Amino acid sequence: MKAFRYERPTTVEAAVRAHAGGALLKANGIDVLDRMKERLDQPDRVVTLVDVPGLDRVERRPDGSLSIGAMTTLATLAASADVAAACPTLATAAGQAASPALRNRATLGGNLGQHTRCGYYRFASFRCFKRGDADCPVQAPGGVQEPAGIFGIDLCACAHPSSLAPVLAAGGAVAVVASAKGERRVPVAALYEPPARGKASDWVLGEGDVLVRVEVPPVVAGSHRVGYEEVRQKAAFDWPLVVGAVWVAARDGVVADARVWLGAVAPSPWRAEAAEKALVGKPFTAAQAAVAGEAAVAGATPLPGTAYKVELVKVVVRRALVAALERRS
Amino acid sequence: MGRTGHEGGGPPGLSRRELLRGAGLAAAAGATLLPAARALAADAPADLRVQGPDAVELTLTVNGAPRTVAAAPRDTLLDVLRLPLDLTGAKKVCDRGTCGACTVLLDGKPVYACSVLALDVAGRSVTTAEGVVGGAGRAVADAFVAKDAMQCGFCTPGMLVACAAAVAEHGPSLTLEQARAATAGNLCRCGTYPHVLEAALAAAKTAKGR
Repeated sequence: MKAFRYERPTTVEAAVRAHAGGALLKANGIDVLDRMKERLDQPDRVVTLVDVPGLDRVERRPDGSLSIGAMTTLATLAASADVAAACPTLATAAGQAASPALRNRATLGGNLGQHTRCGYYRFASFRCFKRGDADCPVQAPGGVQEPAGIFGIDLCACAHPSSLAPVLAAGGAVAVVASAKGERRVPVAALYEPPARGKASDWVLGEGDVLVRVEVPPVVAGSHRVGYEEVRQKAAFDWPLVVGAVWVAARDGVVADARVWLGAVAPSPWRAEAAEKALVGKPFTAAQAAVAGEAAVAGATPLPGTAYKVELVKVVVRRALVAALERRS
Repeated sequence: MGRTGHEGGGPPGLSRRELLRGAGLAAAAGATLLPAARALAADAPADLRVQGPDAVELTLTVNGAPRTVAAAPRDTLLDVLRLPLDLTGAKKVCDRGTCGACTVLLDGKPVYACSVLALDVAGRSVTTAEGVVGGAGRAVADAFVAKDAMQCGFCTPGMLVACAAAVAEHGPSLTLEQARAATAGNLCRCGTYPHVLEAALAAAKTAKGR
């Protein structure tokens, strides 16, 4: 890791100033340190949020919604009674991610802002569209494709690593972003953008934008149902192959509104709109969950090595919906 | 030659640890530690502290005792434990938070020392495998021996720390499933997992209830 000047603000305003001035933004550093050790990032200046007070907390607000500081660890999310009550799938996803030692350090902000784990991106000796090369080696003859995506992969075929982002997007969560102009609210569903050549990060935030907290509307008992499902090669300490997160509003057993989001299948979290359409206006049943699962793969353009993910998406969406259906609260 | 930095090659005939240990002693004899606020310019804003890029003074509690070292911003907790503090229980294996060989306790909770910047944990309490063996986790270490829970030994200190954390958390009620979950982030290429889990459960039986 190259030597750097470490800037430790104690206010969000000072963090914004340092980040706007070109310092690399770091939470606890799980992903940032990896990138710096591989010299993907070689900053002269790093700004960290570790000394900014109050960012590591979960608060349940009077309306039942959650306000979660960007420095809240995944372990805290997984263990929080407030998270379990207001958005149980967030607790589930956080508790299944990585390993106990990583969950004790990995933060919500870092999880949402982490770069792709694509092996071609992570090692500078490979070509990579995100690092400025003209093409993506995943698509080239001999490319390792299995971890890659099946949606929106024409320029860059990587899979987005965050399992929390699909949950938050499905739940209608909003990221609160501080900048020199003040705070603005960005839905988590709009936090990411398609790949661009030479753009390493997947999200829309730029220099001087500091994600300070995420607000999550409450899952209202009797009106809303949420479900989460992921498939991995290993039961623990592994990246999911496919993530599915669903939010369903049903009245008298009929779906009024639905949001279906997928992770690890596209360069950014992926909204399965066709699955949502397959649910709205229909009875909320296990049979309809299977129909939505089939619909969720609309628009998929799998590579030979990622064709298996098409089948996994169908299963994951169905299981997430059935989990939502069977959830009591 | 500083007392911080990364483990690398040295001249032939001298192990890197001997070389660095000698350099550390030489530096200690001739130098005092750097002031903590060395880089804090007089005109720096009150809400921003700046450190480095050179080493600054860092104090943290390691295995129960306060320790002060010189650490640069880029030094990980693992670098600081293994080099200036000479606590080589935590192993630098993957150095990417994917193997668990550097697992230590930070304020009692397991973390990967390779994935923590040393300056981020100033003032906090770190317990390494050495501290576990010399303290409350002695029974876990004894159980590792009794149950033959190691082969090559490279994962063992991290496994021990992870198991000690699980025993401390769950006490005698520790279940196989909980022990499995607690060691999920510790990889063993020899495949000693069954014996590690047996050792954790055996140690838990002798632990005080919580």
